[in-house]
Amino acid sequence: MLIDPSHGGDDKGAVLAPKIFEKDLTLSLARLLRKELEERGISARLLRDSDTTISLEHRAELCNQQHEALYIALHAAEPGRGVRVYSSILAAPQPAVGSFLPWDSAQSGAIARSNAVARSISRELQKRDFKTLELQAFLRPLNNIVAPAIALEMATDRADVKSLLNSKVQSAVAAAVASAVEQNRERLGARR
Amino acid sequence: MIPRHFQIAISFLLLAILIAGIFIIELRHSEEVKTQQGLAAAPEGPEAQGKEETIRVLVAYDDDLALRWRTTQAFMPDERDLRARAALRAVLAQYLQTPSPHPLAKGADIKDVYFLNPDTVIVDTTAQFADGHRSGALLEEMTLTSLIETLNANVPGISKVKFLVEGRERQTLAGHADLVSFYPVSAVHELAREFQ
Repeated sequence: MLIDPSHGGDDKGAVLAPKIFEKDLTLSLARLLRKELEERGISARLLRDSDTTISLEHRAELCNQQHEALYIALHAAEPGRGVRVYSSILAAPQPAVGSFLPWDSAQSGAIARSNAVARSISRELQKRDFKTLELQAFLRPLNNIVAPAIALEMATDRADVKSLLNSKVQSAVAAAVASAVEQNRERLGARR
Repeated sequence: MIPRHFQIAISFLLLAILIAGIFIIELRHSEEVKTQQGLAAAPEGPEAQGKEETIRVLVAYDDDLALRWRTTQAFMPDERDLRARAALRAVLAQYLQTPSPHPLAKGADIKDVYFLNPDTVIVDTTAQFADGHRSGALLEEMTLTSLIETLNANVPGISKVKFLVEGRERQTLAGHADLVSFYPVSAVHELAREFQ
């Protein structure tokens, strides 16, 4: 599966506090998630493992080219608490042209599995006492991904940004997500 | 051999350049944070055109991450495009007031609204609307959902909405919410229900 630490390089993402950027937090969470998945025998790659700029279109292309079993984009932003879990919301999918899928609705064939994974992740997070919100939303690049695709957003209020930087909190989120992915391994066809 | 007084002058000059550089970097950083937070926002009301009506607007509230219907007075022209713009500006006026339930940056505005056909509308926003929008998946979705639902409530018959920034297409509003696609109003309606 492919873990996407969103933003990076010139794209800082949300400014959570002076000198605390979303791009750094997503990378640190992504590394923890990869570790948790590998401990469960699930092959996982990071879309970026350094502070580099990658466009949204290229992120989707990389995922589609590698025929990944699952794509998880990681985010962190204000306001609120807990973790928000997103899957794609699609208009009526456009028909495929031969073997080509329409870019804007490439997700349509995987949407049921994306929603199932999102529900599992929410349940696992709740078991670990995280407040969760599950939404279908218009987030890029979810609609352009052929594989099941979800996005997670760790939420924080400005006064509580330090809690997001806490490695124990990040590890607990990563463990919950990895556990949910493990439960869905058959559905996703994830490689060992 | 460089004279001592010349060496001292050069040292002071280099030190002054260094201090000025640090000051500029700090200033730029604090302005960037300010813009992100919409702290520079100031109220801007809609233009007075058409008859004054009581309209429904869907307002985003950051405090409890909810969208709620509110009524407000707005001057609503008869032409669909102007009516659409007036309704959207009425929502933005809610966000540009102080205190704001969902702050947007000063200068966030609707430049124009075009109907591609009777059910498809293009909303052209100012650069400040997107450049100064706080980055975050939920915050961005709340803004767009509130605008699209308000549009749908006050200008019937719209099924698809697309946003431009200064007449150009953008990938996202502030790094997350899709600005490339046409938003299907029916799907946005479902999303709005989840927020209420």
